[in-house]
Amino acid sequence: MNSHQESLLSACQLQKTFGDRLLLNIDSLAFYAGEAVLLSGRNGAGKSTLLKIMAGLESFDSGTLSYRGAPLNRRAHRNIGGKVIYLHQQPCLFDSSVEANVGYGLKARANSPQAARIHQALTWSGLAHLAKRNAQTLSGGEKQRIALARAWVMEPELLLLDEPTANMDAESREQTLFLIRRLINEGMGIVLCSHEFKTDHRLIQRELHLEAGHLTERRLNPAAEPSSTQPLLRYTEA
Amino acid sequence: MESLSSTTLEAIQLLLSGNAELWSLIGISFSTTFKAILIATPAAFILGYLLSSTRFPGRWALISLFNSLLSVPTVVVGLLLYILLSRSGPLGDLKLLFTETAMVLGQIALAFPVLVAMSLASFKAADQRVWETARTLGAPPWRAFATLLHELRYGLAAACIAAYGRIISEVGCSMMVGGNILNHTRNIPTAIALETSKGDFSQGIALGLVLLLMALGLNICITYLHRRSEASA
Repeated sequence: MNSHQESLLSACQLQKTFGDRLLLNIDSLAFYAGEAVLLSGRNGAGKSTLLKIMAGLESFDSGTLSYRGAPLNRRAHRNIGGKVIYLHQQPCLFDSSVEANVGYGLKARANSPQAARIHQALTWSGLAHLAKRNAQTLSGGEKQRIALARAWVMEPELLLLDEPTANMDAESREQTLFLIRRLINEGMGIVLCSHEFKTDHRLIQRELHLEAGHLTERRLNPAAEPSSTQPLLRYTEA
Repeated sequence: MESLSSTTLEAIQLLLSGNAELWSLIGISFSTTFKAILIATPAAFILGYLLSSTRFPGRWALISLFNSLLSVPTVVVGLLLYILLSRSGPLGDLKLLFTETAMVLGQIALAFPVLVAMSLASFKAADQRVWETARTLGAPPWRAFATLLHELRYGLAAACIAAYGRIISEVGCSMMVGGNILNHTRNIPTAIALETSKGDFSQGIALGLVLLLMALGLNICITYLHRRSEASA
């Protein structure tokens, strides 16, 4: 996609093995700013591993990664946090208040108007009333929404979401998907592993299918450009 | 039996009377043990973390070594330190033998394996997502490590308390490298040994009570921290 456009994060000849098993063998892969990509594949295909490698959280055996065209060495790749954010399937919130969790990443940024941004993020997630609560006491759905708010407040260039609605009840899933759709609509680059978006071609531009270590690409919405200006569509599918 | 109860009463009176000599050696005990824990803890936690998170040849041998050191007799540690610090030893020029510093060094040597082994267990049981989440949110490694320490605070505090329990009550090492010098290196366990050998049981029991209360307090703390740790898991 967008051969004329510089990729945000790309990989070339990427290989990853677990023991004797070659888990990933990817010739080339590129994510672009503002696009929404669906990463599909059966359980155990290596989707989470691929996302973690791209986020600098997991090592790989061979290949090269580039960020905005510049090759990433191991050190630079590990320091990509904040710009490329990975969200776990089961979000990890620290044992502190909800607002402290949301403001965690902001602390590293000098001159950041933290309190106002945290409040904005909590309002964005619809959970401002839980600001003072200990994050460990939240439900699974609330935790995922706070994790999304914690990522949103950092204004990352790319957000990697690993099965964000797995094991959720219908209401929590709908609320979480609504936030993800808002993120996509706001123009944030998103890669997600999820079964929920398979039929939604209005927001997802590309589908990457991972099978036997190889990636195949399918364009879902050729008309849609990154940073889509489509109106926000509230999720209605069951 | 009557003799034991009257001696115990006498011991309590001695404690409450504010006997300067008694409280001085209690002070020495707490001063040396706190210093030892403060010095040993940061390095032990970092080593415990590295042993849990990295893979290198000899890692299991190192872990086995620290586990073995948990049960090494205190007098053996005292003996080794004595040989090192004695005038003809390799560190003899430092003139540390029979000083409070030598006692602290001995207690560091005793506490270190406990801190490494227990912190290693905590780090191994830690949720990997804590480190990953901190890093992906842009935290530098030192801050991610601080976040991990915060998440594991109950288990790590229990490690400190267990290490403290081992050194506050040890007598062999303190006796050998401290020399049991009044107002300088005499601490609770060495004083108990000395007073008992002199037949002064009331002071021995008074000091024993302090140790027993300390042991009780530490165990209550460990139980409380263990419950908090389970609750936050």
